[in-house]
Amino acid sequence: MKDFDFDVLLSRVLKPARYTNGEWNAVHKDRAAARVRVALVYPDVYEVGMSHLGLQILYHVLNSHPDFLAERAFSPWPDMEAELRSRGLPLTSLESRTPLREFDVVGITLPYELTYSNVLNVLDIAGIPIRAAERGENDPLVIGGGPGAVNPEPMAEFFDGILVGEGEEAIVEIAEAATAPRRAEKLERLAEIAGVYVPSRYEAVHEGAGPRGAVLPRNGAPERIERRVVEDLDAAPFPTRQLVPFLETVHSRVTLEIMRGCARGCHFCQAGATCRPVRTRSLETLLRQAEEAVAATGHDEISLLAFTSVDHRDIRELAAKLVERFGSRGIGISLPSLRADAFSVELANTIQRVRKTGLTFAPEAATDRLRRVLGKQLAEHDLFAAAEAAFASGWNRLKLYFMIGLPTETDEDVAAIGDLMQRLARFGRGVMEGKQGRLRIGISVSAFVPKPHTPFQWVGQDRREELARKQAILQQTLRGHHLKLSWTDAGTSALEAAISRGDRRVGRAIEAAWRAGARFDSWGEHFDFARWERAFSEAGLRMEDYANAALGYDDRLAWDHVSCGVRKEALRAKVEAALTEGET
Amino acid sequence: MAQFVCRYRKGPEVRWISHLDLKRTIERAMRRAELPLELTQGHNPHPKMSFGPPLPMGATGEAELLAFHLAQAADPAQVKERLDNQLPPGLEIGEVWLAPPQKKKETFGEVDLAEYLITVTGQVSAEQVRSRVKELLEAGELMVHRGGERPEREVDLRPLIQSLDVVQAGDDEVVLRARLKTGSHGGARPQEVVQFLGLERDDCLIGYHRTGVYASAEATAPKSRGVWRRWSRSRGGPGRGGT
Repeated sequence: MKDFDFDVLLSRVLKPARYTNGEWNAVHKDRAAARVRVALVYPDVYEVGMSHLGLQILYHVLNSHPDFLAERAFSPWPDMEAELRSRGLPLTSLESRTPLREFDVVGITLPYELTYSNVLNVLDIAGIPIRAAERGENDPLVIGGGPGAVNPEPMAEFFDGILVGEGEEAIVEIAEAATAPRRAEKLERLAEIAGVYVPSRYEAVHEGAGPRGAVLPRNGAPERIERRVVEDLDAAPFPTRQLVPFLETVHSRVTLEIMRGCARGCHFCQAGATCRPVRTRSLETLLRQAEEAVAATGHDEISLLAFTSVDHRDIRELAAKLVERFGSRGIGISLPSLRADAFSVELANTIQRVRKTGLTFAPEAATDRLRRVLGKQLAEHDLFAAAEAAFASGWNRLKLYFMIGLPTETDEDVAAIGDLMQRLARFGRGVMEGKQGRLRIGISVSAFVPKPHTPFQWVGQDRREELARKQAILQQTLRGHHLKLSWTDAGTSALEAAISRGDRRVGRAIEAAWRAGARFDSWGEHFDFARWERAFSEAGLRMEDYANAALGYDDRLAWDHVSCGVRKEALRAKVEAALTEGET
Repeated sequence: MAQFVCRYRKGPEVRWISHLDLKRTIERAMRRAELPLELTQGHNPHPKMSFGPPLPMGATGEAELLAFHLAQAADPAQVKERLDNQLPPGLEIGEVWLAPPQKKKETFGEVDLAEYLITVTGQVSAEQVRSRVKELLEAGELMVHRGGERPEREVDLRPLIQSLDVVQAGDDEVVLRARLKTGSHGGARPQEVVQFLGLERDDCLIGYHRTGVYASAEATAPKSRGVWRRWSRSRGGPGRGGT
């Protein structure tokens, strides 16, 4: 594309800096010298994708390798998509503005079900056939990976390979596989990589409606795909020269991954259930990485990333040392994941002496009984102790996350959210004597989504009408000063559940929805539930068979060929124990 | 404690960066350069910095203005070098000089004039553009509606346009020079001038380049009437002289 044409495009779209590149720490390698060229794609808008650590890790690993090159691409916002399509221009990488179809590998993150329509859209704007079976010798290998890969079936027909699990090591093996001369050999080599699922080598067998069935290997492919795990996190490559976007992104800060995995095992949580074992980075490594990353980026905030950062064995010392070294330079430390207890608040006090933003807790349910069903290790007095410590030390904004539609949930459990929050607000007013006016409690309520590989994978989601009824209960009971209620759209949660527990047939519905115009489904203004309902019925499917149906413990499930390290019997034992617990 | 004023270039590589994003970009570059930035007091400390009038999105600038405080005195030449090493391609420091110690916080309040080169690429006739310019300059008033501002209002652009000339005319390129009022007391945007000239067309690409910003009070002072000066010169800094 000539500069003139590119400038015309930029002059017509919102936030043109999404497409211009040149950010600090962007890597521009010699394309001709690279043996394998990889385009790393995040299927959402630039500001979201640039906040994703996984993309930065893979970018760093590939570009550190002498033979490989990686460039980035993101979903163009609809205004840019319209400009590209009306001119017949293909989607290009940011760094060298090369069309994606001229890369050897196009790697696309599967962060979350509602980005799947964007995945098809990116391929299509790039001029790459969306179905793997229609790709030829001149098309790139299209590889998926990320959290969504633990149930690869809904996207199976669109990918040449899907990596289940962690990518630091596998990405190098995948790039090597792409050096094979012909497509058939590339696929063969891909299939030999631990953790890589090559869908064309498997046949999906369906047993009635919904995700019951099996995915069976053809001529010698392995029966099960074992989730890829990096054994030594401390030694694993980590980018300290993190990209520094010009645009304000979702998270404009240094990210330090202090820990991977979660020891808590809440029964609904897919991230916790699939990302095992728990591994931590050492204090020395983290302090070194913090120094390097601050020097290389100039950010004024360091975020300590983990599912529950307070569970890191050296968290107290790490926090103290970081504050000691960076506080005087005006660089703040933040913890994205706190437990609701006094220790967490004490820790937050240590690190947030510089900046006092709000504190966030996730009790998930409002009664001790329901929390026990969830496997959530939190008692009500812990929550109050945390709140007391927070209010007493000057925090005046709290945010709390809850879910509705949980297994064994009654209307009383839902109403208890309102009651608990009112008690918390009264308690806060008492503690914050003289400053009560500043108290703000935000309550964010989402709907439970059953996810593969979790103990709750067999449980059906509440129907949308039922969720709407429970939301109405919330609205009636959750009233009062200082309280602000928000919830996620029930239609969005229904689609998330239907794709999350989807089988290979659901891919047809995703394609139909995309053809009917679905884009950016995680952005409320672009989401159209009726369009998705039509798409499912066009594919001969019903969303409720995937989202709402309870599955049998003895059913074969569409994702059973993927193993995340926990046996199905163990998941079953947990859910049975949880449901029994719910009766007491 | 020392205040520095600097002039920087915003090149084509970064012309799509908004003013707010540019601020953050320079802040981060300063931290990477390990300059001892002086921070504001309070809950959310941030470096003490101020900028001259913002460039419109998509425009490049030759001599933009920035002032910042460092906690310690430093050699301006070294400050420039350290900062230049940490700026992304397209951003470049022209000069850095020390503000007079009595100056509390430089806010560039006196800056009220800006000169732009407007390049129109596409099928345009220079003759047509010239006659439109003539019409525009002869008009008694040029009312423009500003919907983006609150309250919405009508503004007369004519007194805000100090001069407008065609300085270069080729086959598919016409370059205009516009000297426009700017700053907090009201200003004209170069895009508004282009709109009045009828050049906002699908087949035209418009490039905006700001050559400098000025303080007219000083430029029109008795001794230097009619002389356009670089801002730095009028502040007693190492200026490059008038245009």
